[in-house]
Amino acid sequence: MNDTANVAIRAEDVCKSYGSRQAIRNLNMAVPAHSVTAILGPNGAGKSTLMRMITGMETPDTGTFSVLGRKPSWELNRWIAYLPDRAQWYSHHMVEHALEWARTLQPGFNEMRARDLMVTLDLDASMKVEGMSKGEEARLMLALCLARDVPLLVLDEPFSGIDMISRERIVAALIDSFSEREQTVLISTHEIAETESLFDYAVFVDKGVAVLAGDVERMRAERGSLQQVYRQLYG
Amino acid sequence: MEEIRVGGMYFSLDLSLPLYEQVLEQVRSSIAKGEIALGDKIPSVRELAQALKINPNTVMRAYQELEREQLTETRRGQGTYITSDIAKVDLIRYRVADKAIEEFLSKMTGLGFETPEIDKLLRIKRGEAHE
Repeated sequence: MNDTANVAIRAEDVCKSYGSRQAIRNLNMAVPAHSVTAILGPNGAGKSTLMRMITGMETPDTGTFSVLGRKPSWELNRWIAYLPDRAQWYSHHMVEHALEWARTLQPGFNEMRARDLMVTLDLDASMKVEGMSKGEEARLMLALCLARDVPLLVLDEPFSGIDMISRERIVAALIDSFSEREQTVLISTHEIAETESLFDYAVFVDKGVAVLAGDVERMRAERGSLQQVYRQLYG
Repeated sequence: MEEIRVGGMYFSLDLSLPLYEQVLEQVRSSIAKGEIALGDKIPSVRELAQALKINPNTVMRAYQELEREQLTETRRGQGTYITSDIAKVDLIRYRVADKAIEEFLSKMTGLGFETPEIDKLLRIKRGEAHE
């Protein structure tokens, strides 16, 4: 996979430290274009750091990233819908305001799609963001991301700490989204059992290194389920 | 493994094996068993992906293979239908049967039985022979 048309994200020998702690160490990976790729690994493996570097929120100390054929930057982020692991909201906002905010500030925001997603994800436009459950908030954030017509979707832990029903609604919304368009999707998650059937490519990260990456169907044929591979690697 | 029914077909997926082959195999077997009738419409890629909670690409690949085998045909703007050609379905019935026999024989061989003994056991089972 040397062709940028076939690779949406490429990392080459990326290192990143915070003080004395090495978050990412000589990480290499190539995420296939139009794939639904999982970033898997235990807490502290470097998954969120990786995603923040892809979206230009952090810069590598050494090594390079190529995202959609370019260097990560604020400018490039107009082509990326990013769901960070920790959301920040203006609590007085209503869902309606969040939609307005997205319409004004988010390039490629498709309001009709957003309204459809609100129905799928069981959200009401008149709800106040303050007082929302964690599950509702996650569904709102996801709706805003999925409503953008952009070539890359980056979701950092979209399922963590979310109730089963919200999780099922999110999975259903993702499957609809995958059926509708060609988009590269990168998802980091701990909920492997519930989500592994969604992925076609997986990258396992451990202590800042990509220890295993490949086509998920081939992993199933050669080593078993992603859950089994996870246990082999980290157990 | 949970069994999921989608439009007359039954699926039960094992995440430790390639999903594409399982979806393909299970649709073929539904056709061979007549769980889904000749000329019937099958679920759309999206419907099946939603029901099985799997990547639509996986369903798409399986559907493309079924189409290549001429077991299904896609009518523009209408969806995908099972062939109404009984000869094609019969061919699949024999192929599924052949696979079942192979699995049976490999299990029997694994238990240490040889062909004459297996034949005898089958005749006994059918009431044509005595122990």
